[in-house]
Amino acid sequence: MNLSRPDRTARLDALAASYVLGTLSRRARSRLAVIARTDTAVSQTLRAWEQRLLPFAESAPPITPSPQVWRRIALRLGLDAVRRSERGPWWARMEFWLVATLARDSRTMVVKTVGGAPVPSDKSLELWMLPDGGAPRSLGVLPATGVARITLPALPDVALANVPALAVSLEQAGGSTTGAPQGPVLYTGKVEKLY
Amino acid sequence: MAASPDKSARLAALLARVAMGDQAAFGEFYELTSSHLYGVAVRILKDAPAAEEILQEAYVNVWHHAGSYEVAKSQPMTWLTSIVRNRCLDQLRRRGVDTVTLTSDDDDAPEFDLPSDAMTPVEMLIAGAEARSVRECVETLEAGPKQAIALAFYQGLSHSELAAHLHEPLGTVKSWVRRALERLKNCLDRAGMGR
Repeated sequence: MNLSRPDRTARLDALAASYVLGTLSRRARSRLAVIARTDTAVSQTLRAWEQRLLPFAESAPPITPSPQVWRRIALRLGLDAVRRSERGPWWARMEFWLVATLARDSRTMVVKTVGGAPVPSDKSLELWMLPDGGAPRSLGVLPATGVARITLPALPDVALANVPALAVSLEQAGGSTTGAPQGPVLYTGKVEKLY
Repeated sequence: MAASPDKSARLAALLARVAMGDQAAFGEFYELTSSHLYGVAVRILKDAPAAEEILQEAYVNVWHHAGSYEVAKSQPMTWLTSIVRNRCLDQLRRRGVDTVTLTSDDDDAPEFDLPSDAMTPVEMLIAGAEARSVRECVETLEAGPKQAIALAFYQGLSHSELAAHLHEPLGTVKSWVRRALERLKNCLDRAGMGR
């Protein structure tokens, strides 16, 4: 590849065309790419050929890549959204389920989260009870996996039977520091008697 | 199909948001572009895991360098296609000339079995020309040269692979490709498709 000869323009044009078409040999490809980094005439000629030829690529039928490709990209870049197809932030798409059962003494609640996206290590899920007309009251931080035993506060009005609804919020690791939910509420649900 | 002005504007707007670290924009950008790019990559490499790997690298690159994309210089799809195709072609040429085994009794079928490919490379080229309203630029090429550049462009065949595939001397194929590119250039530039 000698680009210093008098017919430089025509030769450069032909080389750039083969580069973009794809027929250049390995050596010629890499040499032209290196020259294009510093020589604007070369990079402009390449770009002109890209404008001419690359739109033809869009007429080839698309083929959907495996979902693994996006997952690996999201993982490598540390993106929150490991799933792309759903709209909204990841926590809004959690398929979240809370199973709470009350022990006989009516003070100890056994809670298990089912399904849902993994909670990032710097976050915690916090469980709240929502009394009628009252402010949410924390029942504690939920385990990322497994089962939690939560003892209900010993207050006169507090028995699960009197708590119409529960909520789960996403908080900084360790839970809310103010006594009220600080993060987004992921889930609210009425308490249903299962016993 | 060649990207419509609307789609290009949409992609450019998404890239601007990606440059600011907007993950939702990045997810949408991936959804709008990945199957086109995967189709391009897998046809050239004829190797699904390698094509996925390159797609992954390309999008990681997009996330980090979206800010370097210049609207004035190229369409978003052209920019992206050049990233993916160049990586594919570099890898293909590194693998060596003879990795793609060409069978002598099969002139038209692609070597890589793509069950979804109902179109031949020449049909893709014509569809691409139609999408840009420059059908005559492709149709007026003679059959041999037209097939040569279509195979090179969509399937990454080198000059010697084209010669073997088309049962023509290397010199003939080289001059077919060179002249077809020249004619394409003149026709596309007249139609305002080059720069």
